[in-house]
Amino acid sequence: MSAGSNIKPQDVEGLIELFKASNWDEMHVQVGEFELFLSNDPKAVGPGKAVAVAAPAAPLAVSVAAPAGAPAAASASTAHAPVTAAIPDGLVAIRAPNLGTFYRAPKPGAPPYVEVGQTISEDTEVCLIEVMKLFAPVAAGLRGVVREVLVKDGQMVEFDAPLILVEPAK
Amino acid sequence: MSISRVLSVNRGEIAARVVKAAQALGIEAVQAVSQADRESMAAQLADRTVVIGPAPSRLSYLDPKLLVHTALATGCDALHPGYGFLSERAALASLCAEHGITFIGPRPETIAALGDKLEAKALARAAGVPLVPGTDRIADAAAAQAAAETLGYPVLMKASAGGGGRGMFIARSAADLAAGFDKASNEAREAFGDGTMYMERYVENARHVEVQVFGDGKGHVLHFGERDCSIQRRYQKVFEESPCAAMPQALREELHRAALSLVASVKYQNAGTVEFLYDVNRQEIYFIEVNARIQVEHPVSEQVTGFDLIQLQFRVAGGEPLHYTQDQIPVRGHAIECRLNAEDPYQDFRPSPGRITRWQPPRGAGVRVDSHCYDGYLVPPFYDSMIGKLIVTAATRAECVERLQAALARTEIDGLTTNLPLLRHIAQQPDFIDNQLNTRWLETTGLPAFGAKQE
Repeated sequence: MSAGSNIKPQDVEGLIELFKASNWDEMHVQVGEFELFLSNDPKAVGPGKAVAVAAPAAPLAVSVAAPAGAPAAASASTAHAPVTAAIPDGLVAIRAPNLGTFYRAPKPGAPPYVEVGQTISEDTEVCLIEVMKLFAPVAAGLRGVVREVLVKDGQMVEFDAPLILVEPAK
Repeated sequence: MSISRVLSVNRGEIAARVVKAAQALGIEAVQAVSQADRESMAAQLADRTVVIGPAPSRLSYLDPKLLVHTALATGCDALHPGYGFLSERAALASLCAEHGITFIGPRPETIAALGDKLEAKALARAAGVPLVPGTDRIADAAAAQAAAETLGYPVLMKASAGGGGRGMFIARSAADLAAGFDKASNEAREAFGDGTMYMERYVENARHVEVQVFGDGKGHVLHFGERDCSIQRRYQKVFEESPCAAMPQALREELHRAALSLVASVKYQNAGTVEFLYDVNRQEIYFIEVNARIQVEHPVSEQVTGFDLIQLQFRVAGGEPLHYTQDQIPVRGHAIECRLNAEDPYQDFRPSPGRITRWQPPRGAGVRVDSHCYDGYLVPPFYDSMIGKLIVTAATRAECVERLQAALARTEIDGLTTNLPLLRHIAQQPDFIDNQLNTRWLETTGLPAFGAKQE
């Protein structure tokens, strides 16, 4: 089977699923006449005459899961509800890069990395995620104002869990 | 049972199998998954599922610290590694031990010793287990010819410092040795800076046989029969069966004794497999290696012995004594397993991940399917391509083969390309039906015939 002519809707759906499950920045598939371009960058322009389907309308560092307005093609059989469901309009979540223990401050008793109301930029360190005594700082990944810290100090968080809500800079 | 909650850190069918086995014993199962496996069968079955990292294995299933952190953070007192990934990494077993988590497998030092091929061979030799006959260094072609007279042709000349086939050749006669020796030695000198050569007997007609063993960690060891895994492609097993019907009883007993002698000598703990090469023409067996974990093909041993080996892993790890004697583990009937893979046998076995639109495995008496797949499941592209194992059991090998053929005919999988056509083809081959097989059969006979049929 070497055909490009019989691309079925579920093939496209499958490709979108694959892309969402990956940590790729973009994906470009061309089979005969069929061409599909997916990107996590909302400003991305597909190569050639391809139609750009910008997947999540948020920067990659913030989310791999699709926000409320996910592409229509990837609905139906995707049973999994994205963790993003509860993120209020206009806010963006900084998410856990892996499972670990969440810490707001560099060490016990020290002031937290960030407070609610604080203005942050992409490389502002906002918290620590600890795995077996290995403490990895998490960078904000976007500019804006901290609106809410969702996780308690010392709590276990899973991969991709929302940690801190930020109102992005205009 | 001293284990109350286990972290299952593998994926695919074995994770689902581990979760079910734990729950059957009243143990709570927490499943660690990558982001790509959130919807997996194991995640659905587990009492709790935690997403530990993104899809790539090295950021999830291959990170020992992340796994042990997850076990501690979720209150688990044990960890089951499955097969593949970190199952034979001594570092994971040690890290578990350091943090008071029961690693369901051998002790770290056993994993380390048996994982080193030279050390494993030394242990086997010390335990009186036969190895492939061979020589020390051979100085020149004349010395090689003299050695070959003793070993018997054909022989395999190998570079002492070597690997990757360089400096290696098969000699079927004294003339072959005279013609090839200097060239191979020079090739070895160029590749490795050392032209030293040695010789091993070349096994022309070999089967891969292996013994399923279990130990209590204190020197009591048992076997659960042997498996014949001779149908392989690029050292990947495709069909496995138990018992090895081609082996005479006297040699089978010698095989079991050899395996037990080796694992008893290291006071082996939990499940393991001792692999051998079976030289069919000479009716001899040679030790290859020990796999210090549960293996993919363990179900055929379960089918002919009636034991649930995963549950036994939990029991032994939980401190229950291995209170059986060898004669309480008789082998009855015959079982064959074949591996269903999401790969295209017509396109050089290219992996073919995607969404399964229809998953209809066979059912019926003597048919078992170990799989994590279901209608609508998306096979992710990041991992191994195995999507399930079909295991059939019957009173005799002949009946088992018939049952396998019928079961494969009833298997229906849509939505992605699988190796099902190849499995059906193999099951119909006269050599398979008559059990005239060796480790090169699939590549030299089975696959060419499959390709020819396609035209």
